[in-house]
Order: sequence, then C-alpha cells, then structure tokens
Amino acid sequence: MRRMSFKFPRLRLSMSGIRLSSIGLIFLIGLLAISSCEKDDICVDGDTPLLIIRFYNAADSTALKSVASLRIIGIGNGEPVDTFTDRSSTDSVAVPLRINEISTQFQIILNSDGDDDAETGNIDTLQFNYETNEVFISRACGFVANYEIETDTLTVDTDNWIQGIEITNPSVTSQDSAHVKIFH
Amino acid sequence: MLRYFTSILLFLGLFTAQAQSKSIDLQPKDTISYKQPYGLRAGIDLSRPALSFFNSDYTGLEIVADYRLTQSLYLAGEIGNEKKTFQEELSNVVTANTSPLYNFTVSGSYIKLGVDYNTYENWYGMNNSIFIGGRYAFSTFNQTINDNFIYNSNRYWNPDQFANGTLSNIEYGGLSASWLEFLVGIKAELFANIYLGASVRIGFLVSNTEDDNFPNLWIPGFNKITDGSNFGVGYNYSISYLVPLYRKAKKIKPPATSVK
Repeated sequence: MRRMSFKFPRLRLSMSGIRLSSIGLIFLIGLLAISSCEKDDICVDGDTPLLIIRFYNAADSTALKSVASLRIIGIGNGEPVDTFTDRSSTDSVAVPLRINEISTQFQIILNSDGDDDAETGNIDTLQFNYETNEVFISRACGFVANYEIETDTLTVDTDNWIQGIEITNPSVTSQDSAHVKIFH
Repeated sequence: MLRYFTSILLFLGLFTAQAQSKSIDLQPKDTISYKQPYGLRAGIDLSRPALSFFNSDYTGLEIVADYRLTQSLYLAGEIGNEKKTFQEELSNVVTANTSPLYNFTVSGSYIKLGVDYNTYENWYGMNNSIFIGGRYAFSTFNQTINDNFIYNSNRYWNPDQFANGTLSNIEYGGLSASWLEFLVGIKAELFANIYLGASVRIGFLVSNTEDDNFPNLWIPGFNKITDGSNFGVGYNYSISYLVPLYRKAKKIKPPATSVK
C-alpha cells in the first residue's frame, strides 16, 4: 500500500501534462478550422452610396409627384442610368456619382421617347458638385466613396421642366434617406 | 615470545571481528544519476526565412531563445521582424476579370516573453520536451496603403474595374499591439546540444492601437486580425543550440519504503 502511494503521484503528474497539451492541440486545430472560412472574405458591410433624388410637386412642396417616362443619362457615359426602369413613371431615383471627379452631370429627361439620337422629350441638364471621401469599410470591401454635395447647377434653357432643386441632405454616406428634392 | 605473538593475533582478531560487524548490502541502490544540462538555448525560426525565399511578398526573421530555470520550467522568448504585402481582391462578385480592391504592406517588429513548461518525462540521458507555454507579446509596426480602388456595386461609371482611389503610398505609422499567447510545442535533441523544435500558437489580442482611417489588418508576430474576433494563430519551426552552463541531476524523490 505504501509502495502504491509512491507511484501514484508520479503517474498522475505525467498524465495531467499529456491531458493539458492534448486539450491545447484540439483547441488549436479547432481554431484553425474555423479561421479557414470567415466572413472577412465576403463584402457585405457597405457600398458606395447612390445619390437619391425624389420628385415633388412644385405647387405643393410636400407632395411627391411622379415624372412621366423618366430617363436619366450621365453626361460622359451616354447610356441611361441602370438603377431604375428606363422610361418609367417614378417619383424616386438613385443615381451614381462619378468617383474620381468633383462633379457629375445628368440629362434628366421628362416624357422621354424616340431613338437615342432623336430624343423627343424635355431634356434638362443638372450638375452636382461635390467632395469625395474615401472610407475604409472592412477587409472584404476595402474602400468606398462618400460624398459631400456642395452645389448644384441647373443649365437654363428655353423650357426647363425642373422648377426648383433643394439639397436636403448634403452628406451622401448612406441610402437611407433622400439627398435631393426636385420640384416640377 | 610466543605468548607475545598470540596476544597480538588475538588483538588483530578483535579488529577483524569489528570490520565484519557491518552487514553486506545485497541490494545496492543505483547511485549513477544523469546530470541534465542547464543553460541558454538560442536559435532561429526556419519557416520565416523559407517563406521569405519562396514568397516575394514576405520577408521575416525570428530569433528564439529559452533559459532553463528548473527541471520543467523555462524562461522563453522570441524576437522577430516581419514585412508582408497583401493584395486584396473582391471575391464575392463573379466577374471575368479580377477586381482589385486595395494593396497594403505591413512592416514591424515584435517581442514575446514568457515561460515554457515541459510536460515530457525524458528517459535516461534524453533532453527532449513536449511543452506548453504562455507569452506576453508586443509589436510595433506601420501599415502602408500602396494603392486602392473604390468598391462600388454600381458599375455605371466604371464598368470594367473599380475606380482608382487616391490613397497610394499613404503610411500609417506608430501602430502597436499587444497580445497574450498560448502555445504547444516540441523540442527534440538532434545532435549534442542541437535542437529542432516546432510550436503552434493562439494569440489573444489585448490592446490594438490603430489609425481611424485604416484599421490594423495584420500584425507582425500575431498574423491576420479577423473581423469581430481577438484571436490570431501562428506557428514556428526552430533550430537552436544549447549553451550548457551547468549540469544538475534530476531530484529523485526518496522512496516511501525507506521511511519506516
């Protein structure tokens, strides 16, 4: 019995050592397995926001008013903006701004019809001047652009259908609310 | 005269009888004890120079050292320097051509100090170890954005590639981080005083000083920082040389049977 009590603690000492290190190994292997597939690989955290424009009634500045057969063309691109159904009637659009520039010009066309080179609708040209900030979002997304709208310029022509422009939210950092109101 | 000799013999006989009084030990105890070497063991990590050779985006070096305190306990530490460049690309948009997002370089040094505890009971004459250990580690480094692009899921203005950003060659310096490390490893004596070792490590980030505009994505010695997690993983393969300073026998516990 005395002999047993001599051997027992020695055995238990080495057993505890093995058990400790094996727990550690299992823990490490588990962590490696988890870290091999992680959310860092997928960009879900943010995006460069679009400029949200809402169209209001010029006679009643709180009432939304749809624009019939609306088409928006970015000057410098030539194609209709693809974020909404082209030549549809809508009171809310989201348009992309040029990232590397200090301004973006759009042709906003009411009652758009005809071929691309024979537009019969009323074309109004609107320019936004802004400052661009590059903001780091996450490992997977990298940098996105945020804008600070400074001024807007409506090119005056003989029959402007746009009667007024109001920048309600100059900080374009999200798409949660409208940035610009256009009255017509 | 004869009487004189007889008395001398009797006298000597008395002495021999006294010498015989000590009993002969029929089960002698093994008194040969192996004296284990104690000293400073220093070496380098093999994986970092190897990675530097094969990977053009990485250079690194790590010096490892430990000093034996007791039978099982070692004071241990690592000092290293690493530089790594990353090219991040957008991976969740299926496009024919890859979409680069940003490219950055991290460069810095680290020091790790702590203890190793040998859990392996060596056979006679062996000096190997299977150890667990803990470290407190500290790193200072800087991050440089080499170039960046602006992520934008709307491709109206930039149909082929993301628009170029303006943050090329922007350096964020004076960054630092500290973490606690838990490790499991082995060290085997290959030749006299030359040891080959390996360890795997988990780091738990304690402090992380980063720039508001660009967070720390990788730390020398800690490796990749994962979003929403304080854990990092690492490893090393070391070859080291033991400078034996003195030798000490392992303390053998007196057998319980001898106490009566």
